[in-house]
Amino acid sequence: MEKFAKAFPSKPLPSKTAKPWALAGVVGSGNLEVLVERGGRPTDTMQCHVETSIPGYKASWLAALADFAHHYPAGGTKVTINDQGAPPVLVNLRLRQAYDHLTKGDK
Amino acid sequence: MSGVLFHEQTARQRIASLADAGSFVELLPPPERITSPYLAQLGIPVSFDDGIVIGHAKIGGKKIYLAAQVGQFVGGAVGEIHGAKLTGLFKAAARDKVPCVLIIESGGVRLHEGSSGEIAIAETMRAIFECRALKVPTIAVIATDIGAYGGIGILSTCCDYRIMTEHGRLGISGPIVIEKWMGKKAYDSANRALVWKTSGGKTKYLLGDADALAHDSPEAVRDAIARLLTKSSAVSLASVKARQKDLEKRLKKFGTTDDPDAVWKGMGVRDIGAASLASGPEFAALAKRGK
Repeated sequence: MEKFAKAFPSKPLPSKTAKPWALAGVVGSGNLEVLVERGGRPTDTMQCHVETSIPGYKASWLAALADFAHHYPAGGTKVTINDQGAPPVLVNLRLRQAYDHLTKGDK
Repeated sequence: MSGVLFHEQTARQRIASLADAGSFVELLPPPERITSPYLAQLGIPVSFDDGIVIGHAKIGGKKIYLAAQVGQFVGGAVGEIHGAKLTGLFKAAARDKVPCVLIIESGGVRLHEGSSGEIAIAETMRAIFECRALKVPTIAVIATDIGAYGGIGILSTCCDYRIMTEHGRLGISGPIVIEKWMGKKAYDSANRALVWKTSGGKTKYLLGDADALAHDSPEAVRDAIARLLTKSSAVSLASVKARQKDLEKRLKKFGTTDDPDAVWKGMGVRDIGAASLASGPEFAALAKRGK
């Protein structure tokens, strides 16, 4: 297991979201779950906490998370990830799904 | 029909599609982070809900307690937290006299935390019997190939009713386990037709282990639940003895056959080919199960 936490600069989240938290994905082989919650401080960073079963890919994780924080207004969110070996493209997809559910509701 | 297949949905999607819109309230939701301490010690990733979503909801305006297991997370297996959530839900159902529906997707006890998983399943069974003693309906839904096996297979048979689809499977030992112990000649776990004809929803319906056979859609499963939500019966010595007699009869009738079709024929299926292609109520109509 490898665990790390980091905050990334991001534009503030819209003041209204569909729900206070959202979950995307499942902890299964090659998959991950992403929990996005509002109410993080400060409101211009996205706080991330990652736990992954595959050690040694911290640089890729930080790049994927920084990229997401740059493209989406996710400041003031807490992002917590349980990972079981998901590839970076899936990490990005789950982040976007969780963010969509948070801001627009489950659809 | 929405065209959505129930067996392809996630646990949360299943709950959302069964419950009246917006009525589901999750208990111990992911932000509470009640996760398995054992998996963490073993360096295995944990899940925020420990593989089960529990809460209360309404179906057709009627309040129910509702749980759905997450089969993709360690096979939906029951650990300490997962089991405690399950036990608590059935206890709440007994306390509030509100029906309880469990959407099953589990291979049984989680081996990484075996003892606490076994105890949790035993405690949940006790809570189910508490519900039944109070005539609070308990329903298990088994609708995916992960199915209900091991302790969860037994637990499902403690409920008043089981709703299955043709994708669902119900048993104690899984096909691979049986093959490992008895040999490939006795039971070939790679033979999907054989596996489904011995443990699949259609066969379980014929034998009376499943009370309803539904189409693989959230609407059909929801209808089946709504129909069964009204009745419950207590477990008594007489009911257990009657069940034992049924099982003895079944063993006598089918105990020596190697041919699953013989079981279908013996349970009233005349046209095996047509029944193989039919599903849900159409299959039930072809079968004319004597019940």
